[in-house]
Amino acid sequence: MTASLYWYLREFARIEWVRKFFFARTAPLVTPAHFRGFPEPTGKACQHALFCMMVCPAVGAIDVVHEGDGWKPRIHKGHCIRCGLCVEACPNGVLMSGRVLETMQAQGTALLVSFRISIDRDLCTGCGNCVTACPVNKQIDAQLGAGGHSSNDEVIMRVDDGDVQVLHEEKCTGCKICETSCPTQAIQIARILEGIQQPVEGGGP
Amino acid sequence: MSILQAIKNKVRSRSIHVSYVDVGSCNGCDIEVLACLAPRYDIEQYGIFVHNNPREADVLIVIGAYTHGWEEKLAPLWEKIPDPKAAIAIGNCPISGCCFDRRGSYVDPPVSKHIPIAAEVPGCPPRPTEILNAILSVRDLVFADWEVKRR
Ligand code: SF4
Ligand code: SF4
Ligand code: SF4
Repeated sequence: MTASLYWYLREFARIEWVRKFFFARTAPLVTPAHFRGFPEPTGKACQHALFCMMVCPAVGAIDVVHEGDGWKPRIHKGHCIRCGLCVEACPNGVLMSGRVLETMQAQGTALLVSFRISIDRDLCTGCGNCVTACPVNKQIDAQLGAGGHSSNDEVIMRVDDGDVQVLHEEKCTGCKICETSCPTQAIQIARILEGIQQPVEGGGP
Repeated sequence: MSILQAIKNKVRSRSIHVSYVDVGSCNGCDIEVLACLAPRYDIEQYGIFVHNNPREADVLIVIGAYTHGWEEKLAPLWEKIPDPKAAIAIGNCPISGCCFDRRGSYVDPPVSKHIPIAAEVPGCPPRPTEILNAILSVRDLVFADWEVKRR
């Protein structure tokens, strides 16, 4: 009894034990800078391309809202899974997270979003709704009226010979307004995401 | 503040019993909680002891998107924990349902609908450090001067 009491006291009086018991901190409670956190703004102006929203795999994690006289992406914690895809997809470098941007630059990688317009000739009635609804068309040809005829060759599409003809697919921004305005669902917009890599000087890291 | 209260505060801050319950997750967050127990993060050096008995727990860690099987289980489990107590939601799932909250899916998030949640740790999954920090900050908010606050 006395002996065991003695051993107990001796054990607990060890200065090392006392220090460890009261002040032990082995875990680094700081997060290393290269860890991917929730995306943060870099300060560059958002151009409202909405690629972040198109690429985001999580439900309700990101939206782009009007703020002041510009647009601004908002991340919703509790929904965002910190994958960093929005950072990669943004063509204007508005967001950053961990070292995603640095890695992209070092390895010459990017996510490219493009849009393909397909028109079902059997369904298209040539009403021109899509042509007039398209905001890009409206900007290029302010004269564009109902019926969808245009003398401007720069528009994305126009009505010709009773059907819609696509002239400049590359100008499409993927808003899908044409799709919702088409009465016969003849026009369809496919959003295409591809990862690309350019060769870098020295072959990358 | 009485000396007795000061002693209670001191002891409580170094003796937190954690019980955790997975109400339907993908196990990603469970693995991160598990990492808290491993030597690298070593949750026990802060006096936090993880086990699975709600009767002894101070903190309940809730993981997962709340499947319907927990309807008549989670609230009674919460009732079983003696005061003072706090529940912490770990991961996106108990906050929003994360990727499982789709139309027609069999989950019913957020968990705060079912039991009071004191802190939420977003992330899919959150890091062990974030989980640790949440427990440590809840500890100071909920358990310090509890008798005084109750009065
Ligand atoms: S990091 Fe991933 S989940 Fe989070 S907002 Fe960006 S794309 Fe969505
Ligand atoms: S998706 Fe938008 S930008 Fe593209 S053609 Fe349709 S309306 Fe025009
Ligand atoms: S938050 Fe993500 S990692 Fe955690 S359980 Fe849900 S899906 Fe899995």
